[in-house]
Amino acid sequence: MDQSLVLITPLVVAIGAAIVVLLVDLILPGRDSLAVAVSLIGLGAVAVATLWANQAPGQAYGGAYEVDALTTFLDLLFVSIIALTLVFAPDYLKPRGLPIAEFAVVLMFAMTGAMLIAASTDLLLLFLGLELMVLPGYMLAAFHKTDGYSTEGAIKYFLLGSFSSAIFLFGLAFVWGMTGSTRVGDVAAALTNIAATPGAFSAGLAMGFAFLTTGVAFKIAAVPFHYWTPDAYQGSPTPVTGYLSVGPKIGAFALILRLFVEALAPLKGDWLPVIIVLAALTMTVGNLIALTQDNVKRMLAYSSIAHTGYMLVGLAAYAGGQQLGIEALLFYAAAYSFMNLGGFAVIAALQKRAGVTSSLETFAGLGRREPTLGALMTLFLLSLTGIPPTAGFVAKALLILAGVQAGGWVAFLAVLVVINAAVAAFYYLRVVVYMYMREPVSEVEPPRHGRLLWGGLAVATALTIVLGFFPFLITGMIGQAATALGG
Amino acid sequence: MSISSIPILTIVTFLPLVGVLALAIAPERYARGIALATALATWVVSLLLLVGFQAGGQRGELFQFVVAAPWIPAFGIQFKLGVDGLALILVVLTTTLTWISILASFGPIKDRVKLYMISFLVLEVGLIGVFVALDLFLFYIFWEIVLVPMYLIIGIWGGGNRIYATIKFVLYTLVGSLLMLVAILATGFAFQAATGSWANAFDFETLRSFATTGPGFAGGLQLGAFIAFFLAFAIKVPMFPFHTWLPDAHVEAPTAGSVILAAIMLKLGAYGFIRFALPLFPGAAHTFAGVIIALSVIAIIYGAIVALVQPDLKKLVAYSSVSHMGFVTLGIFVFNEQGMQGAILQMVNHGLITGALFLLVGVIYERTHDRTIAKMGGISTPMPAYAVAFGFFAFASAGLPGLSGFVGEFLSLVGAFLYSPWVAAVATFCMILAAAYLLWMYQRMFFGEVSDFLKNLRHHLTDLTPTEVLTLAPLAALVVLFGVVPGLVLDLIAGSVANVLRDVASQPAVEVAPEVAAVALLAVAIYVIARVIVTANADRRAAIEAADLAAGAGG
Repeated sequence: MDQSLVLITPLVVAIGAAIVVLLVDLILPGRDSLAVAVSLIGLGAVAVATLWANQAPGQAYGGAYEVDALTTFLDLLFVSIIALTLVFAPDYLKPRGLPIAEFAVVLMFAMTGAMLIAASTDLLLLFLGLELMVLPGYMLAAFHKTDGYSTEGAIKYFLLGSFSSAIFLFGLAFVWGMTGSTRVGDVAAALTNIAATPGAFSAGLAMGFAFLTTGVAFKIAAVPFHYWTPDAYQGSPTPVTGYLSVGPKIGAFALILRLFVEALAPLKGDWLPVIIVLAALTMTVGNLIALTQDNVKRMLAYSSIAHTGYMLVGLAAYAGGQQLGIEALLFYAAAYSFMNLGGFAVIAALQKRAGVTSSLETFAGLGRREPTLGALMTLFLLSLTGIPPTAGFVAKALLILAGVQAGGWVAFLAVLVVINAAVAAFYYLRVVVYMYMREPVSEVEPPRHGRLLWGGLAVATALTIVLGFFPFLITGMIGQAATALGG
Repeated sequence: MSISSIPILTIVTFLPLVGVLALAIAPERYARGIALATALATWVVSLLLLVGFQAGGQRGELFQFVVAAPWIPAFGIQFKLGVDGLALILVVLTTTLTWISILASFGPIKDRVKLYMISFLVLEVGLIGVFVALDLFLFYIFWEIVLVPMYLIIGIWGGGNRIYATIKFVLYTLVGSLLMLVAILATGFAFQAATGSWANAFDFETLRSFATTGPGFAGGLQLGAFIAFFLAFAIKVPMFPFHTWLPDAHVEAPTAGSVILAAIMLKLGAYGFIRFALPLFPGAAHTFAGVIIALSVIAIIYGAIVALVQPDLKKLVAYSSVSHMGFVTLGIFVFNEQGMQGAILQMVNHGLITGALFLLVGVIYERTHDRTIAKMGGISTPMPAYAVAFGFFAFASAGLPGLSGFVGEFLSLVGAFLYSPWVAAVATFCMILAAAYLLWMYQRMFFGEVSDFLKNLRHHLTDLTPTEVLTLAPLAALVVLFGVVPGLVLDLIAGSVANVLRDVASQPAVEVAPEVAAVALLAVAIYVIARVIVTANADRRAAIEAADLAAGAGG
């Protein structure tokens, strides 16, 4: 079999699985559990294909596409994110009469885009992957099409999203013009030359950098490019919000890794200050606004902005000369995915009855009404805060360690991370206050939750705890990924 | 199989978790029994540690019952536990007070008993873990674990203003401890940078020998890390001016929560100074000793004066804690044998005495649902045994010779005297204040006519119940025992004291450039002035609003 075909198997399997689900829904409409089962089997197949492709890592299609340890790690992470999202969704979608099979199909197409980003070593292919990832995201945001907020959020997301894509593409064009290539390796080589010749850093290249950074900052919702986030997140159906706060964000971080760490690495001294300012602003502003929210979904939306800021610290630490920065970023991405998805799953479960809002009052007395959900939500919130022994704590500790090692202004960022963590503790713990220290507003019988939801929550919980106690289970893989990328 | 082959320290640390698991599956009505049984079992096992510990000579200066296993090998992070005399006495104090607290909660806690007991046992794991962890990273994890159950205990079973109090408690503590995390990681990294290897980079013993007998940490790192550790520990102790969370937390916490908070959690900070801050950063410790001694003396005076004017009994005991813990930090930072011994002894005594005082406050609150001193009066008539017990512990707290409180404060003061007679003179003056606020309170509450408020409640004013006696008697016995034979504790901690003093003496003070010191002083001054202005403004605005309201009501 041709090596190129081996390497793209995961993508082929992913698209194939999506088409199968589509066909199943066409032939046997309305069989939701069947659709979910087929999708999960398909996702399993994608994971297997990813591991198989990883047996013989290498480049394909003239160096535009590459499978390495980073691709494998990110692909597995995307598969887990999509699987968890899919498992959490039916309990929310079904009572609202939203189609589940279509949801699964759209999610899997988005995953394909993210996986394409993870494997691209060509600027144009990166852009293609990015668009393939975010377009389904717009559809998902508008998934509840009879709901005004969902539509409003989706339109904002779509408009600003396409705007930022255009900016990004503009930046790519500049970089191509200045370096003469779209291949990541060639761009890096050309930039190494530019970095070595004094005065070669031209205005055009600076423009390219600025546009690229702006475009990417929109995608990861870094301050001051975050304005679309709260509306899009609050308006979307809750399982979608969970996905949007994790999937496209980590996909965009994969883009950053391929773009900034691989292609633009020779000039990292030039973009480091920008990343430092972005990181500092993003975490601080995100947290400060989250403080004032009394809607839990919106609060988590702003807090996800803050988490973007933390992850940027890993990038800054890398630019400051620490390989550990990349490892910390990847670990944070994994830990953040599971705890954030878990948190949104609990919100979605509470909203099983149509009409239940995600305001803090919904959580009042949850510790008494539904002790298991309350305990799990507490765990996820503690992990998001960074309290040991959870995955969130190890992730923050790694980031801080990387920041401290990098020294200089990045060490200052590390201190800023902990100050922000303390600020974040206030609003995360406020939810705990409502769950355990307030009486329920209304005495309605709690809804019955599906077995799928409990299963997904068990997985998210287990990962949040296990990665807290035994981080070395994935640090080996992360180390390889970081080496493949920056080493 | 000999005793030494059993990982007894690991068992002590994690035995409460077995109880947590049992509680999680057992029905609510067995919760009390399971929790008490677990706490008692942990206590008994911890006494085995006391039996097996070899205190004297060379052996007494080493960590014993050590267990170590690699945990995150990439950064040399270990799961490593061990005790020396200091840690051991605090572990036993913890296990003792935990079962007493659980027993004391049987009556007052009627709602969500299971969750309460789970919180208490998790709290015990965290507290023991802090005292026995010999890896800085592991230590931090236990340090943070303590926070969550206490947050729930104050927030769920606390008084009227509990949510404000518990969030304030968590945020204060978290700010300090997160900065400490940065310092811990920076220390480990500095060790790695100096030795070129991550092996044992967070191991306390390795770091200590690197810091004291080895090349030592660079001056800048020492100063920065010491400040971060200092903030974390000073907030926990709490030292003036980081104490403001304490009265709120104490007043709102349920009785048993207050007991553990005062008796054990305040010791975490003092323990952290002795175990980590001094041996790892001896140079910086010398640099800051003067400032910390000054803050300690202020805490001693301030706590006593504020306690004198408290209308609320529980707040009075809370502020007396600030004052008493001032003796602890004073004794630690004079860097001599008497001071250090006095500080550790005072930690144990404060745990016993203040723990008992909070139990006693709980007793009267259970019966009257009030803690206002002014409403009380003549309690000794309906409740003679209670009056005797309260009197005993009040005297012990005031430092009556023959009871344990005296020995600790006396040794601290001797240490302070060797450092500077003036410091000792000021601190001694405060012992008079302590006697004043305690005896005045005692006289107002227990003597004279039975107050009208209590007359209306006379049917509720039953004397101490057998359970209450059972919770207080062991504490009283220990107070007498340590008062008469303080050598019991002093022998046990001799090795730890010798160790830490040798570590501190290993380096001279880190010099701070005068301009840096000037900038730091200026920053502190600006902060204090801003604080004062903000407070004054708030007071003024409150006064104006009150006046407006009054005018509005009048018009």
